[in-house]
Amino acid sequence: MSTGEPAPAAPRTRTPEPWEVEEAGVPRRPRNWGELALSTLLLLLGVYLVIGAGGIAIPGSSNTVGPRFFPYLVGAATIVVGGVLALRVLRGDQGPEEAGEDVDPDAKTSWRAVGIIALAFLAHALLINVIGWPLSVTLMFGVVAWALGSRGIIRPLLTGGIVSVVVWLVFVKALGVLLPGGILLELATGWL
Amino acid sequence: MDAFFQLAQGFADAVTPINLLFALIGTLLGTAVGVLPGIGPAMTVALLLPITYVLEPTGAFIMFAGIYYGGMYGGSTTSILLNTPGESSSIMTALEGNLMAKAGRGAAALGTAAIGSFVAGTIGTLLLALVAPAVVTLAVAIGPADYFALALLAFVAVSTVLGASPLRGLASLCIGLFLGLVGTDLLTGQQRFTFRIPQLADGIDVVVVAVALFAVGEALHVASRLRHGPVEVMSSSGSFMTREDFRRSWKPWLRGTAFGFPFGALPAGGAEIPTFLSYATERRLSKHDEFGRGAIEGVAGPEAANNAAAAGVLVPLLTLGLPTSATAAILLAAFQGYGIQPGPTLLTTESSLVWTLIASLFIGNTMLLVLNLPLVGVWVKLLKIPRPYLYAGILMFASLGSYAVNADPLDLVLLLVIGLLGFAMRRFGWPVAPAVIGLILGPVAETNLRRALAISDGDVSVLVSSPFSIVVLVVAVLAVVGPPLLRRFRRREAVPA
Repeated sequence: MSTGEPAPAAPRTRTPEPWEVEEAGVPRRPRNWGELALSTLLLLLGVYLVIGAGGIAIPGSSNTVGPRFFPYLVGAATIVVGGVLALRVLRGDQGPEEAGEDVDPDAKTSWRAVGIIALAFLAHALLINVIGWPLSVTLMFGVVAWALGSRGIIRPLLTGGIVSVVVWLVFVKALGVLLPGGILLELATGWL
Repeated sequence: MDAFFQLAQGFADAVTPINLLFALIGTLLGTAVGVLPGIGPAMTVALLLPITYVLEPTGAFIMFAGIYYGGMYGGSTTSILLNTPGESSSIMTALEGNLMAKAGRGAAALGTAAIGSFVAGTIGTLLLALVAPAVVTLAVAIGPADYFALALLAFVAVSTVLGASPLRGLASLCIGLFLGLVGTDLLTGQQRFTFRIPQLADGIDVVVVAVALFAVGEALHVASRLRHGPVEVMSSSGSFMTREDFRRSWKPWLRGTAFGFPFGALPAGGAEIPTFLSYATERRLSKHDEFGRGAIEGVAGPEAANNAAAAGVLVPLLTLGLPTSATAAILLAAFQGYGIQPGPTLLTTESSLVWTLIASLFIGNTMLLVLNLPLVGVWVKLLKIPRPYLYAGILMFASLGSYAVNADPLDLVLLLVIGLLGFAMRRFGWPVAPAVIGLILGPVAETNLRRALAISDGDVSVLVSSPFSIVVLVVAVLAVVGPPLLRRFRRREAVPA
């Protein structure tokens, strides 16, 4: 993965001139193994598409262009794009990382936060049909807020709990969206 | 004249109390999410797609119209009041807007952005109402081959013209096209790339993909490099626009509109190029030598261009069924959700819906002007939401929207997997919008391609048999070849400026 080395200490002028924004001079960093992996995966996806397309059943009724044609086309394009991009990345080409108001381009990548959030989200997905949406999403909310650096765990859990129950009431009771509430909440709001 | 009559009818349909309420909810919601960093109009409309199952189309589209313009407006508030770079189409507004706010002229900057948005939005919507029927008369005879050419143009335009790296745009497009292939073939009923998972036979839902790429991907990306410390929101105080400010703003508003609308309306839609052009023009024309220290023209022009482009994007969407931005693509999915296929026939078959939508754009735009300046205090509060809570909340709503589609936890697992992909794409500078366009437009392109080839008995020359398709394909080729040449040219130009 890219080494998140801090930028040189030179003070950066805060407002880039327009042409700088346009050209976004990307500092040369070491070869980006992460993107190389992603483009190689794209190449493999293309190969899979072409092979998989050959396995799609063609019903006898279809005459000229059946269900295999477009997958072959997309597969071939994917192989070309993935291959060329992998080569370019291998030669040191690098895309500008997407900017955002809350993204600090000089910050070191926090894989810990990403990992915890992904796990919390996965856990909530698996728990949703067991303990209901409000409870599982509250736990997720608490863990995510904690992983992103909010102090303590009580306040995030409390906030998440209140918001999720209110949202659940609005969407389920007022708008009729299907969302399991969990035994307690279903019982408590059965009269609504 | 007919158009005006129909537009009047649209207004009559749109100003019922319940529809005005939908418009109000839409504009407020749109502005709120536009203000919040990390979510934009595309994701909001995606999250609200499930409500299309409960709401009738008119109400839903009136709300979407409000969200669409509100999102644009909210974005400019953020870029003026937050001292950090945001989405690419509001970077130009941020340049001078930040400086104005810093110099204690925040209120004037917000004012010129709001009125400029209103002016551009109104002119843009008016142009939309005038141009759309004309485009439809031109396009009504187009066949499957022509439509395939148009889809191809949208693909390459969105992938290569927008964004810094055309190749990465195409990579993103390929991902989207693949995701669009998963499921049951529309024409023969065969399963494709479903990995024998029964739920995938219906395809991967647009909501899941869009929310994953926009919301989950963004949340993970921000989490990986979160800007720590308190959020610094600049003061929105100071005196409102003076007479002098108005005098300096009105020409940039009009010029910005003139830049924005055509760029949005051409299938190579997007707000980045016109906002950049508008900024450069105002800078060159300025007599005040104030650029770089907070010139009001530098806020007025790009902001108008941004909004006019947003109106322009609706021309190809409503007349040809061709989305050229991520938000437009999701609006297209909303039409499809109602069983409506946008295309040249939309204006005749769904005439009242389309004109009500256009009328609501006018209404929403006016509501924005009236509501937003008094509500600046609320937006500033929104900007100050602690980031851990903000992103936890975004994930909560992502879960809500995706689970509501099928009530299946598998969708949430898919959401996470595609969200991780979206994170990687952001990290390596692969734009996300082409993937969404590929997902939504891919199946449409395939259907038309196969129809065209079925009519011609497999003869490929059918694809270039009409002047229309030839022109479109030539433009598509130019869209691939042009930008690299242009960039090389601009690099040579820009240095001495």
